[in-house]
Amino acid sequence: MVGGDVSEGTAPVVEIAGLGKRYGRTLALDGIDLSIGRNEVFALLGPNGAGKTTLIHILCTLLKPDTGTARIAGFDVSRQPLKARRQLGVVFQEPSLDSRLTVQENLNFHGLVHRVPFRLRRRRITEMLELVELTEWRHALVRTLSAGMKRRVEIARALIHDAAVVILDEPTVGLDAQSRERIWAYLGKLRRERELTLIVTTHYIDEVDSCDRVCIVDHGKILALDTPEALRARYGVEQVRITPRDLATRTGIMEQNPNAIAEASGDIVLPGATHGVVDRLLGGFGTGISNISIERPSLESVFLTLTGREIRDQAAERPTLARPNARTGEPVN
Amino acid sequence: MTDRTATDPAARTAAAEGDGRSFGALGALGGIWLREVKRALRDRGQLVGGVSRPLLYILIMGIGLNPYFRAEVYGEVRFVVPYSYLQFIFAGVVVLNVMYTSVQSAVSVIWDREFGFLREVLVAPVPRFVVVLGKVLGGATVATLHGCIVLLFAYFADVELMLGDIVAAIGLIFLLAFCLTSLGIAIAHQVRSFEGFGVFSNAVILPLFFTSSSVFPLDPSLSRTQLLVLYPEWLVTVIYANPLTYAVDALRGKLIGFNQFDPSAGPTILAILSVVFFYFALRGFRRG
Repeated sequence: MVGGDVSEGTAPVVEIAGLGKRYGRTLALDGIDLSIGRNEVFALLGPNGAGKTTLIHILCTLLKPDTGTARIAGFDVSRQPLKARRQLGVVFQEPSLDSRLTVQENLNFHGLVHRVPFRLRRRRITEMLELVELTEWRHALVRTLSAGMKRRVEIARALIHDAAVVILDEPTVGLDAQSRERIWAYLGKLRRERELTLIVTTHYIDEVDSCDRVCIVDHGKILALDTPEALRARYGVEQVRITPRDLATRTGIMEQNPNAIAEASGDIVLPGATHGVVDRLLGGFGTGISNISIERPSLESVFLTLTGREIRDQAAERPTLARPNARTGEPVN
Repeated sequence: MTDRTATDPAARTAAAEGDGRSFGALGALGGIWLREVKRALRDRGQLVGGVSRPLLYILIMGIGLNPYFRAEVYGEVRFVVPYSYLQFIFAGVVVLNVMYTSVQSAVSVIWDREFGFLREVLVAPVPRFVVVLGKVLGGATVATLHGCIVLLFAYFADVELMLGDIVAAIGLIFLLAFCLTSLGIAIAHQVRSFEGFGVFSNAVILPLFFTSSSVFPLDPSLSRTQLLVLYPEWLVTVIYANPLTYAVDALRGKLIGFNQFDPSAGPTILAILSVVFFYFALRGFRRG
């Protein structure tokens, strides 16, 4: 079965049952069942329009589901939204800081509306700014910060109150490699210090490798749900990567192998390849090939097998401008 | 709201850690209020406008029209307001400053939606009522401050203020500011773009202001029929229908002791409209 069960020995902190949501004629979520345990790092992976954001918005109490229920720490998100929100920390895909306030003022606002008592609030702000290495920027106006720093402030902000579940919707999108790495380092550190459930959506598959469980969704359904290793073992395929020396070789290989995927880098990837294929290619093209290797199954290939789409393309075509909101047709900001 | 704190996880943590109090919903209200006030006070342009606007009206319009105000119509003196034009227009200038600032503060609603901060507010464990109340109170506070800036010019307009009158005037100003901020927010939900809102505010503020008997008096000693001899009928109708007329009049009563209407009409109308506009502001917010 597609595993909806929780890792052993932990009580579920997020329980989703039969969750459905429809926008007009489009079925965004088609009966999702899911439970996520305490202290788990849970990755949600899927192509654009797979239903990830809809699911996240329902969990954040921003959207009401048509059918089914979702509970955060035992509170129903549509019937007890205020109590559910108290258990939630959210880092949205789009920026949501007040750029005219300072870093500290943004964090303090969050603490106030989440009713964090004064002393605890002051302590948490200091701790979280240390965690994301922004202590010196405490009194800087947010509009003077870089995109990566803003992201870090938002992560610090989601942790000011005692959230049982922290949802990060594409926390690293649009950031450079160094910032991305840093953000994951903070999250790892935090997890060792505090009991916390993290739900992360991302387009960067390499980031998902460090998660406890990965859930791949498409067309509003769960396609696979398991640990990264188990997913690789089950759905992953070995592939041959070829670096052709010239265009003629490249087109030659592409013509011979209709299932080959041409990458932007000039490499050609042959999914499901074996040593026999390598021999055949070397026999056929010989010196036309500058490099050939067999790659172990990647989560990338798992994703490709399950959804029939390559996730990197999605990331590349992701527009930086506001995307239309499926519900109202207006830009989401 | 206070009875909630017993079951509030944050409050429980506080008790356990001895970390002080969170003040429950009041703290959240304070946080939202504080943000509105800070943002507005940091906006230099708004402050400059808040000082230059009254100066313009008092110095140029007030002083310029002062000599023509004594109603010494040749041949026949119909009606004499026992005040100088500067004194007469003073309350109107206060109201104008409050109007601009109140409506301006509603822009923060559009701003929040446009730049994403709205989400932070929507996932906060705060009832929508508290969010809207915090925003309206914040905007009203700033608008009241801008109204009080005008009061500082009272000396130059020959308006003598008693302490009791000042307090009553500030109360009225706040009520007016609350009412107009609610109206601004209610409309900001409908408009949703900065440009549209700019058009709206210009289309609403000045017409409302000029037809509120703020820059010229009606004659309280004349009957409506007699008034119609002086002014065209449509203008008199508009002035009577404009709720701001009564607000300006009540404020003028407090500032220079001159009332054209029943002094209690202003506060009553403002209180009713505050409730109505606040309801619409809240409804707009609930619909998202």
